[in-house]
Amino acid sequence: MSTTAATAPKKNSLVDRVGARLLVDPTLGVLALLILICLVSAFTLPVFLEPSNLYNLLNTSLVVMILAMGMTVVLISGGIDLSIGTTMALCAGVAATSMKFGLPLFAALIAALATGALVGIGNGLLITRLGLPDFIATLAMLGFASGILYIWTKGVPIIGYMVPEFYVIGGLTPLLASLTLPMIIALLVALVLGGVLGSTRLGTYFFAVGSSKTGAMQSGIRVDRIRTQAYIVSGLSAAVAGIIMAGRNTNVPADLGNGYEIQAIAAAVIGGAALSGGRGRILGAILGAITLAATVNLINLVGVPSSYQKIVIGAILILAVLANRISAIVSGIVRQRRALVLEGIPA
Amino acid sequence: MSSNTAPVTAGRRSYRKARLALAATATAAGLLLSGCTTVNAPAGGTNAGSSGGGTDYLPDEAVRKIVNGREVKVGFAPPILSEFYTQVEKAAHNRMKEYEDRFGVKWTWERQGALNDAHSGTETLGIVQGYIARQFDAVFVCSAANASTMQTLYKQGSDQGIDFYQFNSTEELANPSQAEDPTGGLATVSNIGYDDRWQSGYLAGKYIAEQLKGQGSIIQIMGPSGSDWTKLRQQGFKKAIAEYPGMTIVGEADGGYVRDKGLTAAQDLLTKFPDVKAIYGENEDMALGASQAIDARGLKHWDGQSGIITIGADGLVSGMDSIKAGKLTATVDVNSAEMGTEMIDALFAHEFLNQEVNQFIRIPTGVVDKSNVDWHQGVLQNVLNGPGKY
Repeated sequence: MSTTAATAPKKNSLVDRVGARLLVDPTLGVLALLILICLVSAFTLPVFLEPSNLYNLLNTSLVVMILAMGMTVVLISGGIDLSIGTTMALCAGVAATSMKFGLPLFAALIAALATGALVGIGNGLLITRLGLPDFIATLAMLGFASGILYIWTKGVPIIGYMVPEFYVIGGLTPLLASLTLPMIIALLVALVLGGVLGSTRLGTYFFAVGSSKTGAMQSGIRVDRIRTQAYIVSGLSAAVAGIIMAGRNTNVPADLGNGYEIQAIAAAVIGGAALSGGRGRILGAILGAITLAATVNLINLVGVPSSYQKIVIGAILILAVLANRISAIVSGIVRQRRALVLEGIPA
Repeated sequence: MSSNTAPVTAGRRSYRKARLALAATATAAGLLLSGCTTVNAPAGGTNAGSSGGGTDYLPDEAVRKIVNGREVKVGFAPPILSEFYTQVEKAAHNRMKEYEDRFGVKWTWERQGALNDAHSGTETLGIVQGYIARQFDAVFVCSAANASTMQTLYKQGSDQGIDFYQFNSTEELANPSQAEDPTGGLATVSNIGYDDRWQSGYLAGKYIAEQLKGQGSIIQIMGPSGSDWTKLRQQGFKKAIAEYPGMTIVGEADGGYVRDKGLTAAQDLLTKFPDVKAIYGENEDMALGASQAIDARGLKHWDGQSGIITIGADGLVSGMDSIKAGKLTATVDVNSAEMGTEMIDALFAHEFLNQEVNQFIRIPTGVVDKSNVDWHQGVLQNVLNGPGKY
């Protein structure tokens, strides 16, 4: 899943290689912060590290994690998707209503995925064909998707669609022992998107377009197509999250997606994605989502009054981004030293 | 008519108008409303057909003459579009249909609710300003905006001849008094709702304590800390629990009034306090999230003897289903059916009959559990299947 070129020293032990890799990894910052949170919690609040709590925490983070992975792809390509939360709600509504009207589960899931992809295409077309800024186009799409859901549901949550399979999809019924289906889905999404970003031409194009649209265009990359594809990825990730959410929530209110776009952006940025484009990691998005979930979990366990919760979350966001920045500086110094060593110049 | 809507103290505008009202009209209206109201009310045993006077003797023609086919343009501004406010609206529509069929009232109804943040109230302010600009006759408002801001807006609209009715609001927070001022300091015709402290939070606390015979620990999932509804329900809930020295609130978390956050908060708190006996969700969605958390941890729901009690507040159709299924122990039904009905009764009495309506109309609320869920659910189903549609 790595997307950062690292110059690894030759013929070193596995431990050395892992250590070296960590040192030059820009995600080190958030990982360090997460470990710090765990260590502090272990001493002050032992219940935090109990398996049942970690299991809850992981399950809670999965929806934001999947959204953050889609958002990371968009951010890497130089865009931003403000419609991701409402797209999630719309797709959840499509899946739930399809089930309610007697469609087979498979067809309902396909309908939800198709809706997500269509929203992604819509975002892409608004940006590339009409030339709207990403922020405005996806903000407008947020309005469309939300409005459609409100008109369609008249503000009444969709209920009465839950079948036993949907409890499994939502992770309320484990698949095997403690393993839930959303865990497997999140892992698959991570492997696919990580693979695309790290090992395919499309992934390279996402980075190239996000780093410099002009440069990418001059290199013969079809920038508009790549940007649209990034939004399709984001729309599909919203659909997957929406399907899980419909199962987890057991009803679909029209405001189901409110605020999720901010969480997705926050998780992606905590994980090292740059709002200016050209930088980001799937592993970072995963760690970012877990960090956010761990923060809320700690707040609930400690019993921080809800008035202070937003301050704590804001502080964690700043800390995570600062940690990433320090990590980037450290990794830059390490890389520079290595380069000098390899060239035979004393560091 | 239920005693709640009997003219006791004049509302601001109605006080002036009442002087002009004909005694005969008032008597007719009294008879009329006593025959009509509580059709939907779970607390009432009467209905139009069974009330003492019987509908045959009501002076329908006299009222028709007063109404004279007049059209009234009504704005409905809930803080958010949700299952609860849809129930309130449907009950109102059913009542409007009754008035239309019987007395020839013509209604124009428009609903606009906040779509983004129900608890900021900012969107509602814009919606109400829109109704004022478009010269609606009457506006029903439920807003989380600051009370003084709303009063300024109501005064501004009243000066232009628009009547405001608050519903499901939190005016009790400011302890308005009618001891010397019939308006209680509010620029509204009437405030239709219930007291969040004693008719919701307190009832939930009492129910838990009584079921657990005054012994046990509780966790609570609350609404956002800035919410007036949260402040008031908390006040009532904590007062009830304080009456039982053996009861303790061991943990609390913000569930944001939504199910998913309620589920997460309950899961976190159940990890820390696995031995709790009850979970209070300040609204039904959060309580249902807590119920899912109980299932997810493999814990037992309350069966009347043991397990974990979950109680919410609202009185939603989906909540009633969950009570029947044993997933939700109880809920405080704040009576959306009666609220919608009373809103229209107050409007009709004031706008058409020039009657005084009380500034504070309190509807009955109550705890619903397995013992009485059929009744409450039946009332709600009747409302939702009713003929009103505007």
